[in-house]
Amino acid sequence: MTCAGARPCSQWRTYHNDDTTVRREGELPVIKTTTTAAAPAAILYIPLSVVLSASALADDLRAPEDVLQELIDNNESAYLTQSEQNIMMMPDNAALWTAEEGKALFEEARGPNNKSLETCDLGKGPGVVEGVYVELPRFFDDTGRVMDLESRLAYCMTSIQGFSPEDPEVKQRHGSDSDMMKLQTYIASRSSGLPWNPPMDHPLEQAMRDAGEVLFYRRAGTSDFSCATCHSNTGKRIRASVLPNINEPHEWTKAISWPAYRVGHQQVRSSHHRIRGCYWQMRQPQSIPGSDAAIALMSYWTDAARGEPAILPDKKR
Amino acid sequence: MTHAQPACTAAAAAALLALSAAATAAPPAPEAAYTAMSAEELADYLIFEAGGFDLDAETQDGGTARERMTQDRTQKVCSAIARSGKDLDRATAAKISALADETIEFPEDGVALGDWQRGEEIARSGFGYRIGHRVDDHDSRTPGGNCYACHQLDPNEIAYGTVGPSLTGYGRLRGTSEAMLKHTYQILYNPNLFFPCTTMPRFGHHGTLTQQQIADVMAYLLDPESPVNQEPAQTAEAESAAAD
Repeated sequence: MTCAGARPCSQWRTYHNDDTTVRREGELPVIKTTTTAAAPAAILYIPLSVVLSASALADDLRAPEDVLQELIDNNESAYLTQSEQNIMMMPDNAALWTAEEGKALFEEARGPNNKSLETCDLGKGPGVVEGVYVELPRFFDDTGRVMDLESRLAYCMTSIQGFSPEDPEVKQRHGSDSDMMKLQTYIASRSSGLPWNPPMDHPLEQAMRDAGEVLFYRRAGTSDFSCATCHSNTGKRIRASVLPNINEPHEWTKAISWPAYRVGHQQVRSSHHRIRGCYWQMRQPQSIPGSDAAIALMSYWTDAARGEPAILPDKKR
Repeated sequence: MTHAQPACTAAAAAALLALSAAATAAPPAPEAAYTAMSAEELADYLIFEAGGFDLDAETQDGGTARERMTQDRTQKVCSAIARSGKDLDRATAAKISALADETIEFPEDGVALGDWQRGEEIARSGFGYRIGHRVDDHDSRTPGGNCYACHQLDPNEIAYGTVGPSLTGYGRLRGTSEAMLKHTYQILYNPNLFFPCTTMPRFGHHGTLTQQQIADVMAYLLDPESPVNQEPAQTAEAESAAAD
């Protein structure tokens, strides 16, 4: 097999060929679905635009390597271009398999209630996955709270599937093998190429975003650090790593494009894992996943990337 | 130590939150409480009252994580300035500088250079004071200063940060006068004296570097024998460029 140019060898495309969408140059995107469990061999090819007419967004999904390349082509950024190897390996991102496992998990009847997550409302109605991630965190009527993807998934797994918050399916948040990372990677990948667009219509969404901004600039601890210490300049490095600037949306979209496969960890990592790592480096207390503080921070950082396309799943150092 | 207490509106809002939680079994709707607070009050509330962080964890310095998260005056003022995007005005800068001046304690025997080799270890080490999912054990290893995270020092080290200015040739350019020793000590102890609201940590003020460690880092910066003050090794590229 030749991988000259890398693009034709994209796992993203392979994955979508095997799974849901087929997108070749000059062809209409099509979707492939297995009809029922009783007829596993029955495979239908239907134009994607017909099947997902309620979600025209699916047409705009783009392979993460294409999104990144376009950002690199249109901007001068030492951050975006810092790892040639990672850029080259984007089409073979191991996170693509994690996403595939997440899709199976999402559709599988599980938990004490033996239900799938296909009635889970991630913000655009029950079962809608396409395009939901770039519009999170958002306010949910049923809980009266602003929720991010992880806390919303935990809510759906407990309220729909009947899991206890202490069950490993809900409690285990880190590692490519965790249900949470598989589900998050699947759902997020269905927003690749779409512009970040977290809603700010509800007063709570605005309040959380504004509190998140305060948190981002809030210096504390034995090193006087805040998030802004490292993330408010362009092209600066910590040791050999070029840092993304929150004030440059074309850089910031890559910075917040989680889940991402972290080469150094050999694991797919989440936004929460990034927040935990940053607070650890800042010598400040451990951030609690699903807390309103963590969600506020995400509301601010997602708003800062508004309009720029998401790179999902991403690959980072 | 008192932690930052949200203003009375925040306290009232929190009481409202507690009330609504008691009234129904469903998760409390924080809308009224959250939107009644300013962004600063809400941020403090999310940190200290709403379970945003593991605040009861113990820290290496014998305190709690809650104390780590509690801002002092300098941190509070400099955070607000950074968030506003405005330049630091002269009056505030003078205040921050004066606060720094008050904190600086000099060694009883006067400011002197320590051992540059120990200073190099401190400059290279990013170990120390991290808490949370992995706690740095100071009994197993001495904390470092992590200077290379932000500064270039030894011209032959390529993995240096650029958040701070290059300090290559620091002593070669400045000499080792008593005034320069004192100046360097002050910067390492509390850089806000000369650079109000700088991103650089206050190593002496926080006690994350001891007076001896500061002296060692000073030697790494100023000692003529230190690699920081040597000419960079000539690379083949540089030699051919010089020959042209």
